[in-house]
Amino acid sequence: MSETVTLTIDGKEVTVPKGTSIIEATEILGVEIPRFCWHPGLSVAGVCRFCMVKIEGMPKLQIACNTTCTEGMKVITVSDEVKDAHKWALEFHLINHPLDCPICDQAGECELQNYYMKVGRYSSQMDEDKVLKPKALDVGDNLVLDTERCILCSRCVRFEDEVTKTSSLGIFNRGDHSIVGTFPNRKIQHNYSYNIVDICPVGAFTAKDFRFKCRVWFLNETKTICPGCSTGCNITLYEHKNQRQYYRLKPRKNMEVNGHWMCDEGRTMYEHLNATNRLAVPTIAGKHLSWNLLGKEFKQKLENVKGNADKVALVLTPQYTNEEYENILTSLKTILGNLPKIYVWRDSAEKIDDFDGILMRGDRNSNSKGLSQILEKHAAQAVTLSGDFSPLASSSANLVLVFGPEIEKSYSQFANEVTRFAELSNVIYFGTTLNPITKKFSLAIPTKVFAEKNGTFINFKGIPQKLKANPLVFPAMKGIEDIFAEIKA
Amino acid sequence: MPVIKNEYQGRKPDEFRILLGLEGHSNARNIQTYIEKGNGYKALEKVLKGGMSPEDVINTVKASGLRGRGGAGFPTGLKWSFVPKGPGEKYLITNFDEGEPGTYKDCYISEVTPHSLVEGKIIASYAIGAQKSYIYIRGEFHNEIRWCAEAIKEAYAAGYLGENIMGSGFTHHMDVYSGAGAYICGEETGLISSLEGKKGQPKLKPPFPAVKGYLGKPTVVNNVESLAVVPWIIHNGPEAYKKFGTEKSPGTKLFNVSGPIARPGCYELPLGYPLMRFINEDCGGLIGGKKLKAIIPGGSSAPALTAKECENLTLDYESIAGAGSMLGSGAIIVIPEDVSMVSVLENLMDFYAHESCGQCTPCREGTGWLYKISKHILKGKGTKTDMDRMYSIANNMRGKTICVLSDAAADPARAIVTKFAHEFEPYLKG
Repeated sequence: MSETVTLTIDGKEVTVPKGTSIIEATEILGVEIPRFCWHPGLSVAGVCRFCMVKIEGMPKLQIACNTTCTEGMKVITVSDEVKDAHKWALEFHLINHPLDCPICDQAGECELQNYYMKVGRYSSQMDEDKVLKPKALDVGDNLVLDTERCILCSRCVRFEDEVTKTSSLGIFNRGDHSIVGTFPNRKIQHNYSYNIVDICPVGAFTAKDFRFKCRVWFLNETKTICPGCSTGCNITLYEHKNQRQYYRLKPRKNMEVNGHWMCDEGRTMYEHLNATNRLAVPTIAGKHLSWNLLGKEFKQKLENVKGNADKVALVLTPQYTNEEYENILTSLKTILGNLPKIYVWRDSAEKIDDFDGILMRGDRNSNSKGLSQILEKHAAQAVTLSGDFSPLASSSANLVLVFGPEIEKSYSQFANEVTRFAELSNVIYFGTTLNPITKKFSLAIPTKVFAEKNGTFINFKGIPQKLKANPLVFPAMKGIEDIFAEIKA
Repeated sequence: MPVIKNEYQGRKPDEFRILLGLEGHSNARNIQTYIEKGNGYKALEKVLKGGMSPEDVINTVKASGLRGRGGAGFPTGLKWSFVPKGPGEKYLITNFDEGEPGTYKDCYISEVTPHSLVEGKIIASYAIGAQKSYIYIRGEFHNEIRWCAEAIKEAYAAGYLGENIMGSGFTHHMDVYSGAGAYICGEETGLISSLEGKKGQPKLKPPFPAVKGYLGKPTVVNNVESLAVVPWIIHNGPEAYKKFGTEKSPGTKLFNVSGPIARPGCYELPLGYPLMRFINEDCGGLIGGKKLKAIIPGGSSAPALTAKECENLTLDYESIAGAGSMLGSGAIIVIPEDVSMVSVLENLMDFYAHESCGQCTPCREGTGWLYKISKHILKGKGTKTDMDRMYSIANNMRGKTICVLSDAAADPARAIVTKFAHEFEPYLKG
């Protein structure tokens, strides 16, 4: 028995592993068959009846999602019969849909809208009263449900059953009065709820975090990596086209890393990117310092300890890119003549080996693996600061360089611990967030956030993944590499 | 050619009685009556003690040409043969949901001869190797649930159920499971979902229940009537069974007649019996000398036939399929001249819109849409376009869904809209 079968789809030959469904085979070919209920990350439901295709030798049209490819099968996805079936399937979906696109958050990325333009374009024949169903239901911490917009594809129900195994959702009632909803006294309260908004093909589930904030056609998409933990989920980041404002992020398929999903905690990783909370300009002893003068001041501080590398302490956190670590270490080596004493500051409460069984890991740092690899490469011995800062205090360093965490909330004791550095004299602090303590440092330097960097994170599995930079929120800002380049020149 | 005895008049037990032999007996449901008067449990004895192998049983039923009595008419023996051979958990489920409007034959079987069903189930379970079987019964059938449960209890007490039946080494257990009363649970995979404790919704096929059914194990779902007739076939042999009925539709079948006729009720007839003779002679014709307008020959899902189309029909699968309808469950609904087909349509569409499980879009939305339009027309607010629209909606609902409920709603709608179009005209605005 061979392990593959060869079939033709619209005259194009394709060879697929045995057991592949027609819809999966068309994905390989890049032919799109309209679908609502089928999702590559979920089981086959076969209920929307949209993905109809013609198979030669079969009297009736078949659904592509539940038909297994067989040797020599001839599939036709474009014919008058198939087109008519698609048009009617869409019309059935829309007859009781409220068509409230102007006030619906899904507008612009709604599959009903998209398919209407692709395969619909009919004039509605529906003259009857529509079925009215409950709207604006609060179904969880993050979600709002509109059952009138729902097309009952059951993706959300299957997601709850199969991915998170929380089974909070079900379909109630029968016929055209069927509604999706939560079971009595149950809410969707888990760390993966926003995925339901992503897989919902229509505007039935909307995110409390995003609804009514921005029309999706005003958003630019950037493909990058989530910095929330050591899993390194592949994400798409949405930034406003005209304003420097981030609105949300969504997972991007990568079967080796995150599959189709990401956690809700990761979804908040856009909040610290926006200008409101960011450290915008450098400060020297609490006073603003212009970016042009920063290089001079920074150089001065390093010149003072030149040749005394052992009198310099370097505190790193595992949230910078490989390229940045490399730059920091080589630059300091050049300037000081040798590597300074290195400390790695980690959260005192972290449980590195924790795993929630789906995606999120106990190591909430995006690049622990990258940092240890770079340190190893430079044969640097690092002391870990985890709750106990005495090794640093007793080092009697004349100059302390702290590269603080970009995501401060991943350090459970951040507010306390950062004051420990403020107690030391002559501290240069690199960070992203505006907080009262930054003014106490002799020099505080804003750094770029992950969304503004091109660089590499190495995830817990050892897979290096590239970040992609967006335009800077503060256009004058200089990155770590720019600052070191300036003082080395 | 069909064997039709001219003297057959339907209601009195006579030689054509296969299933309803005990009809009219004062204590018909009792196991003693069944054993003494109805050759009860002789077939089971023949199977278990007479050295019949499961294959022999399947082959006997195949040879009898018995076709499933639930509606689709699928050969029963063939259905059994799809179950994988060898050891392992398997289930036999009796479909006693009897939801098709107009049908009450299964209830009648449980009222007259529940032990035929129990015995048939034990034999069928032996044939497919099922250790456990269920009677899935509609929740509203209070009496029938009791009768079935009593029959099972009696069979246990008599040693026909339980461990090592009659010393044959075959062990079988049986239970009654009452559903909540949904039309869709009469669809075999919907029934399995319901029996599993889930919402009664049909499952995607493939995999078919014979391979992956109840709790993921091979399962056969048979109608009450198909199973109840099995003991007779085993006891008398397939040839005796084939003496009744036609070549392609052998045996007898229970027919339920409803509507304004003199003697409505449940009749056992050999297949191939002339329809009009049955209505006019055996059932005494329409009351008050009314004229016949239409007949729905096989439960509400069967497209209606006009009086003219019924003239030369015989009651068997082929003849009625040839006329563009179906024998279905054998529920004959008689519609007289003074009933408007528009209200018939509205009534039927109301039923299907209410009973669609809501899983597949064309059925969920289509049944509701058809109902709304038909209601609209009945209120005198429809137009000619509504008729065309109903026809195209029905056309596009057919064959597009997981189960055939969609077709069951679409076919009668298409038939009424086309065959009785003239009746709609007074209702239309223009």
